[in-house]
Amino acid sequence: MKDYDIIHHVRGESQFIDDINVPDGTLFAYVFYSPSAHGKIKSLDLSIANSMKGVKSIITFTDIPGENQIGGIVPDEPLLAENEVHFIGMPVAIVVAESKFIAKEASKNIKIEIEPLPVITDPREAFKKGDLTIPPRIFSRGDTENAWKDCDVIIEGDCESGGQEHLYLETQGAFAYPMEGGSVKIISSTQGPTAVQKVAARILGVPMNKIEVEVLRLGGGFGGKEDQASPWAAMAALAAVKLNRPVKLILPRHEDMIMTGKRNPYSSDFKIGLTKDGKIIAFEATYYQNSGASADLSPAILDRTLFHCTNSYYIPHVKATGYCCRTNLPPNTAFRGFGGPQGKFVIECAIFKAAEKLGIDASVIQKKNLLKEGDEFHYGQKALNVHTENTWSLAEEKFQAETIRKRVKKFNDENKNFKKGFAFMPICFGIAFTNTRMNQANALVNIYSDGSVSYSTGAVEMGQGVNAKIKEVVSRVFSVPHDLIKTEPTNTTRSANTSPTAASSGADLNCNAVYSACNIILERLKKSALEEIRQKDIDKIEMKDGVVYYNKEKTNLKWHELIETTYSKRVSLSAHAHYATPGIHFDRETNKGNPFAYHVYGTAIIEATVDCLRGTYKIDSVRAVHDFGNSLNPVIDLGQAEGAIMQGIGWMTIEEIIYNNDGKLLTDLLSTYKVPDLHFAPKEMEIIFHGKPNAAGIFQSKAVGEPPLMYGIGAYFAILNAVKEFNPGKEFKFSAPITPEKVLMNLYKSSESDKLPSAKGKQLETA
Amino acid sequence: MQSKIQFILNRELIEVNINPATVLLDYVRSLRLTGTKEGCKEGDCGACTVLAGELSEGKVNYKSVNSCLIPVQNISGKHIVTIEGLNSDEKNLNPIQQAFLDEGASQCGFCTPGFIVSLTGYLLNEGKLKNNNVLDSLDGNICRCTGHSSIIRAAERIRSKFKNEIISSKGDAYEYLTENKIIPGYFLSVKKMLEGISNENMNSGLQNSVKKYFIGGGTDLFVQRPEEMLFTDAQFLDPEKNLKGIKADNGYCQIGCSVTVTDLLESETINNIFPQIYNFAELFGSTPIRNSATVGGNINNASPIGDMTAFFLALNSNVILSDGSIKREIPLNEFYTSYKKTARKPEEYMEGINFKIPDGNYFFNFEKVSKRTYLDIASVNSAILINVENEVITDVNISAGGVAATPLFLFKTCQFLKGKILNAGNIKEAISISQNEISPISDARGSADYKKLLLIRLLYAHFVTLFPEIINAEQTV
Repeated sequence: MKDYDIIHHVRGESQFIDDINVPDGTLFAYVFYSPSAHGKIKSLDLSIANSMKGVKSIITFTDIPGENQIGGIVPDEPLLAENEVHFIGMPVAIVVAESKFIAKEASKNIKIEIEPLPVITDPREAFKKGDLTIPPRIFSRGDTENAWKDCDVIIEGDCESGGQEHLYLETQGAFAYPMEGGSVKIISSTQGPTAVQKVAARILGVPMNKIEVEVLRLGGGFGGKEDQASPWAAMAALAAVKLNRPVKLILPRHEDMIMTGKRNPYSSDFKIGLTKDGKIIAFEATYYQNSGASADLSPAILDRTLFHCTNSYYIPHVKATGYCCRTNLPPNTAFRGFGGPQGKFVIECAIFKAAEKLGIDASVIQKKNLLKEGDEFHYGQKALNVHTENTWSLAEEKFQAETIRKRVKKFNDENKNFKKGFAFMPICFGIAFTNTRMNQANALVNIYSDGSVSYSTGAVEMGQGVNAKIKEVVSRVFSVPHDLIKTEPTNTTRSANTSPTAASSGADLNCNAVYSACNIILERLKKSALEEIRQKDIDKIEMKDGVVYYNKEKTNLKWHELIETTYSKRVSLSAHAHYATPGIHFDRETNKGNPFAYHVYGTAIIEATVDCLRGTYKIDSVRAVHDFGNSLNPVIDLGQAEGAIMQGIGWMTIEEIIYNNDGKLLTDLLSTYKVPDLHFAPKEMEIIFHGKPNAAGIFQSKAVGEPPLMYGIGAYFAILNAVKEFNPGKEFKFSAPITPEKVLMNLYKSSESDKLPSAKGKQLETA
Repeated sequence: MQSKIQFILNRELIEVNINPATVLLDYVRSLRLTGTKEGCKEGDCGACTVLAGELSEGKVNYKSVNSCLIPVQNISGKHIVTIEGLNSDEKNLNPIQQAFLDEGASQCGFCTPGFIVSLTGYLLNEGKLKNNNVLDSLDGNICRCTGHSSIIRAAERIRSKFKNEIISSKGDAYEYLTENKIIPGYFLSVKKMLEGISNENMNSGLQNSVKKYFIGGGTDLFVQRPEEMLFTDAQFLDPEKNLKGIKADNGYCQIGCSVTVTDLLESETINNIFPQIYNFAELFGSTPIRNSATVGGNINNASPIGDMTAFFLALNSNVILSDGSIKREIPLNEFYTSYKKTARKPEEYMEGINFKIPDGNYFFNFEKVSKRTYLDIASVNSAILINVENEVITDVNISAGGVAATPLFLFKTCQFLKGKILNAGNIKEAISISQNEISPISDARGSADYKKLLLIRLLYAHFVTLFPEIINAEQTV
């Protein structure tokens, strides 16, 4: 099936925010931000900037007619700084001018005086000072305290995982224009149109019905536009209303990197107890999440860390404690995996260290502890239709794990300059928003009297192919070809109160809503058709390839005629429907329940080669058996898996976010923050579709967006295993990403001088 | 500041009065050619890639360039092709676009036009360039969605389908490409159109006056200070065709300052001296950057980590400076005075560099380690030129970048090695001497300790690579 969005993409005809033909009189906004990470604003002098030719207005918090508050979960974040600044990049003023060039030049002439306050960038330091955005969260099962005595070995340790810049190729942006009666229409590059609507309404002090938000498509989101697209949209709206002119606000890349939050870095402690043959009895972990300057989505992200702290393993006794630590960094936020990857990294570090202690391969422990059908997660949900052991054995068999093992050993025996390593990485990821009330969606389907169809949902297209999947549902229900169906831009007036397109659930939720809406219309069409063909039994009516069938027999009634005649009978050809994921609930007091509609499983084997002379490395291959359910679109699902895996590998290897002690981002450009490029992609990428039907998914399919990212964690351990081959006595400090710097230091430094080099240590401690 | 610029944009002849330092990306987008995207505006993502076609020896040669870094002055007299200029006149897709659709090589779509343009650049150069590799042609493009696997599949499909046919196509390869709908038919009439453009801006001659900036390819200045460039007193070097040549004469090789990295890679002269140059130079920037970036620019911007600088330092090159009438030469290893400062006087411009063509039993190697291997700035780089006669090191020059405020020539290390027997012991001792010549700082590209260790490793890597029988990795621990 053709994906029509891609046809526009390859011709360069797809429109993103900055491509929209703006009306005459459009103004351009640039955001002036705090140059200090923490302090009191002593003075703000706008006079020179204001007097520059072409500058229309400089907006500060005093211009906000509503409430200067954008916090989603916790109301702790102003749109524009009032008396204090909390991170470098915190918006202070919006410069609106006749061109983006003038707006930026003018902002250089704004003078701000800030009386410095202490800067905290390290989550553990914030924790020591008691600076948390929400009270601590504890998920537990069994009794770890008593379980330690049953363990043959107990290993303790700590580990760190770094932040990650989303690097959506299209930066944050919005275009707002004033409508009559104080209404505003905003075209936003957001995953959450309703979130934008809410925030803009709150800022402007108007009811939500005065704000219309539309989304065409995003040039990438990855979680970075779930909550953090809202401020820019609200600023554009604020300026548009104040000046009664259309306003466009696009963040230049550099500003986007400085001002927006990233994947939350974590610093964690773990304690794991096992029998001598590798059965895990108990696991305790404490997660110090670097939340940044305000809560943003971090509390929900922390919860997902706690949900996924045992990855694919069954562990009888679990205690996971998490802290959302407030620091003077931009508020960190959703990023594909949403805390899950951070949680899984910790248990994998614990297993790696336990394996060293037991003198066995980590994969022995991994395999021995895989979840089995009916096992209960530590949050009370039963694991059903589990694909842990079967994807693991399939991976062993199809990818010839034993051959890999032998080949790698032979290579390492024969080579002095290069060493190879490989690692297994099983995954298990729960599908649903863990905030139960968000698991709903609605859709509008219209059939026009000429037989053409349009649909509109709350789903936002950002390259994940959600619209191709929804179109497939419409096409299957009506049995009409894709080119008869049009996807309307996501718009809050057609789909109200929507959840963001996030948590891998965009297709599940919106496909189901569309499915219901289509079926409502289909029922009416069937009734109408019965009358036309003078038959009685509605159950015998069927649409097939644009023709009505009765009792499996083709009739003369075609789609277009049926539509025309149904319209003539004054029967509605439109339907709006709602979907709520059934059977899910979660009690945030006991932290028990059935939070997920289902889980996604899989197993990957990742191989890497380290150049021991230079400390560089290559990811040679990623091979995975992944649980896709019955894929709605294999090309899209494969692309999601491959893309997620590379993002996961990037997070674990070369993508390094560095803040200095003053809270200044040092990796603030694409020349210093490196994401995987085409040459970094593994030579071999093989994904086997483990296509078992999923009763909980639309047409037996499964969500795909986030889970495969976590295979990337295997790259960290594959590299570590290769380094171990060269420097066997070395005890590693678990610290991701494992950059070429860390590899070289681990190759050539003995355990005694294990600490990372001093100057870098200073920078990294804070990251 | 306005200048009249004539060029062809896709199908159309453009004549415009414009600030010559306006970057091409801003200009084409202002014409509503929005398929060319702004992703980073520093040449690091490739979303803005366009093709620049230039008349040379009766042919139009196309190169991919980052439109975000190229000032419109530098496109004067050229054919600029954006994605809109590659779309077929009908609504159907060309074979490259079709391959992207079939392989699912486009997800969000923002980077896609850039990839399509780069891949077209690859096909336009097949059979023409010495170094034309399909995946390398995409080394300046970043996709954040696909992980690149599907893009690699699409690119390989295109390569295997067309490569041999293009090479074996009799007559003009462009005719083959138009027949196969890879480029629209109008490409065949571009040559005539370009010949009709007056070249009045060409070779206006450098003025003998103090200029704040000399703009070569623009790939550094327009990253560092794009706004300033719009209002500064600058001299564009691109039109000065006499600054472009590579000549070998009397045992010396002379390279004009406007020679691009790609020119260097394609030069017969250079390839004769350094047969493996592509292996080193593919680590310099990316294809579109190499197509624009000049030797003069890289040397003059005085970055302590310039790749070309490290390369030419090891060749004991001289910088040729001129104030328009008086020329002087100074050794490159004396050119850098302090961080980002050079011995060039304000009234001087750099004409080029020269170096003595190595002779005898010489070996050359270049090493670079960065966080990402391709299109990244080095943490540390180094080059070595070494002569060995009867196991004795008769001459050696080693450079090191990223380990001091300026690019370094490792005088003491070289001095120690000269006249010594080439063996593991001497190499080890030399490398320990090198540690006293350097003073790296900690920054986003690595800690000072890392850079120290990395230089040791890269110096070993020179010897392990060039003389594997003398020393191996194990002996370097």
